[in-house]
Parts: sequence; C-alpha cells; structure tokens
Amino acid sequence: MSAPASHRFVDHTSEIGLQVRAATFGELLAEAARGLASLMLREVPAAVAGEAREIEVSSHDRESLLVDWLNEILYVAETGLWVPLEPEVLEVSDTRIRARARGVMVEISPSMVKAATFHGLEVVETAEGFSAEVILDV
Amino acid sequence: MKTVTKYPWERINPWLVEIPASAREDMRVPARIYVDDVLWERAIGDRTLEQLVNVATMPGITGWAYAMPDAHEGYGFPVGGVAAFRAEDGVISPGGVGYDINCGVRLLASEVSFGEVRHRLEPLMTDLARVVPSGAGKGGRLKFAGEDMDRVLADGCRYLAEIGMASPEDLERTEAEGSFRRADPAKVSDRARERGKGQLGTIGSGNHFLEIQRVERIFDPAAAEALGLYKGQIVILIHTGSRGLGHQVCTDYVRAMDEVMARHGIKLPDRELACAPFQSKEGQAYFGAMCAAANFAFANRQAITHAAREVFEKTFGEEGGLRLVYDVAHNMAKLEDHGDNGQIVVHRKGATRAFGPSNSETPDAYKEFGQPVLIPGSMGTASYVLVGTDDALERSFGSTCHGAGRAMSRTAAKKVKHGAQVRKELEDQGIVVRCAGLGELAEEAPHAYKDVDRVVDVVHNAGLARKVARLVPLGVIKG
Repeated sequence: MSAPASHRFVDHTSEIGLQVRAATFGELLAEAARGLASLMLREVPAAVAGEAREIEVSSHDRESLLVDWLNEILYVAETGLWVPLEPEVLEVSDTRIRARARGVMVEISPSMVKAATFHGLEVVETAEGFSAEVILDV
Repeated sequence: MKTVTKYPWERINPWLVEIPASAREDMRVPARIYVDDVLWERAIGDRTLEQLVNVATMPGITGWAYAMPDAHEGYGFPVGGVAAFRAEDGVISPGGVGYDINCGVRLLASEVSFGEVRHRLEPLMTDLARVVPSGAGKGGRLKFAGEDMDRVLADGCRYLAEIGMASPEDLERTEAEGSFRRADPAKVSDRARERGKGQLGTIGSGNHFLEIQRVERIFDPAAAEALGLYKGQIVILIHTGSRGLGHQVCTDYVRAMDEVMARHGIKLPDRELACAPFQSKEGQAYFGAMCAAANFAFANRQAITHAAREVFEKTFGEEGGLRLVYDVAHNMAKLEDHGDNGQIVVHRKGATRAFGPSNSETPDAYKEFGQPVLIPGSMGTASYVLVGTDDALERSFGSTCHGAGRAMSRTAAKKVKHGAQVRKELEDQGIVVRCAGLGELAEEAPHAYKDVDRVVDVVHNAGLARKVARLVPLGVIKG
C-alpha cells in the first residue's frame, strides 16, 4: 500500500516551496491543489459550499501540466473569488487533467500567490509513487 | 582563488567578487556579484550563486551576469540579478523580469514639516488607507475596462495625464515618462486583463507598501537640492507594480516560451529561465506585452499618487501638494543603447536602473547629478535616495540594488517574532501601521531582511550610485 498523498511547505528565502507526494500522478495534482488552496485561504475560514465545478487543463508534459494546473486554480480563484478545495480527478494523463471540485467563495480575491513556476521542477516517479517540488512566487 | 562554494571565485575589490566563466562548462560569460564580506556570506547561504551561474549560460548574454548586494535566491534569475543580451542575436526571458512586471518605487515630496504631521498622523494614515486599498486582491476605486484598459496598456501615465490624473511634470519625472512606446496591448491576454480589472490604484500584498517618511539625513546637499529634498521634510514612498495583470502576462509567456525553446535550439539548466530570441515572433510578442504591463504599473503608481494628493490637499491645504521626485522600475527588460556594447536588452530582476548625468534618458531636471534611484528598505527601517553614475553603465549596465533584500524565509521570520510583536515594536518607535493581517506583518518584519544601510554602502562605494538622502518611516500601509 502506498502512503496517502501529502504536502508540506519548504523554506525559500523569498518565495514558498510546495513539496508534494502521492501514489499516482492524478493524486499528485489534486494534492498540489490542496496545498495551494491552504496558502490562498490562510486567514479565511474555509467551509466547502455550493455546486461542484469542472476544471480542465491541457499541457505538453507532466511538469508543465502541474504548473498550468496550479496557475489555472490561481486564475479561477483570483477572478472568480472561488477557491477549489476538494478536487476529484475525473480524467488524467501526462498532458491533460479534467477534475471536478467543490470549493469556497471568498470576499476578497486571494492573490498572495502570484504564480507557480518551473524553477528546478521535476516530477519524479519511483516505485513508491510520484513527488515534485514547485516554487510558488509570493 | 578560494573555494567555499561549489564555484571558484575571486575578490576583485572590497565591493566585488567574480566567478570566472570557467567555473562551469556551460557558462558563456563570467558572473560578478557586488558584495562586501558580510553580504558575501549571505549570498552563499542560499541558491543565489547557482542561479546567477545559470543566467550566465543564456544565449546572447554579454559582459557579465551581475548580482547586486541585496541579491537572494529567486526562481530562475536571482532576485537582485542583472543580465544584458545582444538585441541582434540574444534572448528575452519573462522569468528574468519576474511575475511582478515593473514592480517599482515612486517618491513624492511635500512641503509639510514633521511638526505639522506628527499630531495628525493617525487620521492621515486612516484617510490614505481608505483611498489606497492594500492587501491581496483588494479592488480599487477606478474601474478601467475595455477601451480604457487598452489606453492604460498602450500609453500608461500619458493616458492618465489626458484624463486629468497626471501633470506634464509627473511624466517628465517618471522613468520613460511612464509610457513605453513599444507596448502592444493586443499581446496582453484577456485573462491578464481580467486579473488586472479593478486593480489600478491599489497596493497589493507581499512586500508592497505606501509609507509616509521623514527625510532624516542628507549626504549630498547639492544633489538633494536638485531633487528638492531637505532634512525634516515629509515625503511619501510608494512600492507596488502591475498587480494581477503583470502576474498573468508573465505566466502566459513563460508557458509560451517553454513550448518554443526547443524549436529555437535553446537548452537551459532551469526551465523557469524560458526565453526566446529577442527578434523572434515570440520574443517580440512578450516584449510588447511586458511593456504594456509596465505601463499598467506606471499608471497604478500614478493613480495611487492622485489619491494621496487628494488626501494631503484636504488635510494640509496648498502646502499639502505632493511633487513627484521620481518613479523608477526594478523588474524590467529594456532595450537600451549602451555605446560600445550596442543595442542590448537589459534584464533587471530586482535591480534598479541607475543612469548617470550624461545619459540621454536622465530627465533634464536631473542632468547635473544623475537619475534619482529609490531604494526602499524593509518595513520600519530606512529607505534611501541615491543618484545614478556614469560609471554604473560600464560596471553593471547602469544598474544598482533595489532594496534591503530578504535574508530569511517567511516561515523563519514568523518563528522569530509574531505579527502582534512586530506591530508593537513599530508602534513603540512611533510608526503608525495599517496592515491587513498580522501574518503578513510578521513575514515582512525588519529582521527578515538584510541591513539596508550596508547594502546601500556597497553600491555607493562600488560607484554604482551615490547616496543623497536617508528616509525613515512615520506611517506604513502594508498589503
């Protein structure tokens, strides 16, 4: 049995490193989204509410899909005042994800994270599963 | 040569260290970092040098890859990095500018004295905080959209002058007159516009701020007089950029360039350095979009100025007029003519342009002493006004530092002191603080940054800029 998906934040002088582990690539993406959401909502009480929405992202490899997926969530959150909290992956490949998520409405656009970057990014696949560390520009 | 890092290095003088181009086989040019011994120890404590060496591998880089004394690790380029690429066959890199395109600083000078402000500081800060929203995602009073947004992107402060929010003098005293002519609004995506909607006239979050400050010390009386600064004077320093619009422009073009790099035959040690030849379709598209985002940032700082002027004039009458001293960017890529070096695309990522007296881009009003350089310190500490030097052109492509520079991660900063404690310490110094959250206050506390006095001394002694005045804060509005 693989360990459950997990994330933690690692130190960086000026930005924030989001380190993620999961059994599958799809779970890695979902866990990264959870980590990002926890950063965006840091002082806002978060109770899941409302209808689930679909988010779909296509890219050209695993690393760019991870970056694009997180940047899509940032965009949706900042412009729609809605932060997805419990993403359920419906379809996933190395270059495409379709997910459904319920989330939380926020009053103020949660824009403390400017972007997810490619800096030093590598999606590592081992016998235990997948891991990656994304530097977030804050 | 000594080796305490994984790269060989040599101290050139007390303010400068060089890493030779032989340090790593993929380097195209050597790297130089302006530091004294204390700041050198800071620089080798994180990934600053490795990132600087990575920059030195990029196609078309010329001279040296530079880091300023406030440098620290970033993503791709180090923050505090300067690199110039030949316009003819070099690249342009969105990551080398960063997500906050044209993040910059603007200094406004009043004719109000410290005595007049001291007893009115609390209501003054409350009024300012009301008209200049701060904090992540806070919307402003101005609702530019559609054609208005196109005009802001195309013309920046020139458009704000047309609608009565900027004076001709304001334009003269803003880098590039607050309006990059190469801006191409058509290259800014709908998503970027959507993220920037309603954000003109707002501070944003992170290390951005508006401070009321007092001129505490004058180093160079003649230059200070030319800039209209004197001891005891009340001034306002504004530090912000292009907000969500700039973030999305960078996101869009890092992605676009990541896709086309292979086609251009470019291989890099870090994907965040994603770039394209400056003359390519992708390179030109990014340049047009980045210039438009920069215009948005200039207009943002001008809109904040307009709001601050209303408050000061209401409070102090005619004396409360706020004169723009200068507005300068510190996250930009600019096409510049550097004489023998020809046309180069100078990337300043957390570095300030510092042109000297003889440069044609230095405003006429400042031709005698050089372009004003504004260096914000960390919250609650000193900020500096300097002037650029002609020597800086050869020593750092006309660039200098941009702030104190972080020395500690946000998590580490919060472990040292809680936000409430930081607030109390600032208030004990008589500084009025308006901040959205205590967490942000702890993250931006003075102890999380390097010593701004030391950083500025290095650029002064290295001849990259000359000290004119030191400013200390009275009131802080934080994002």
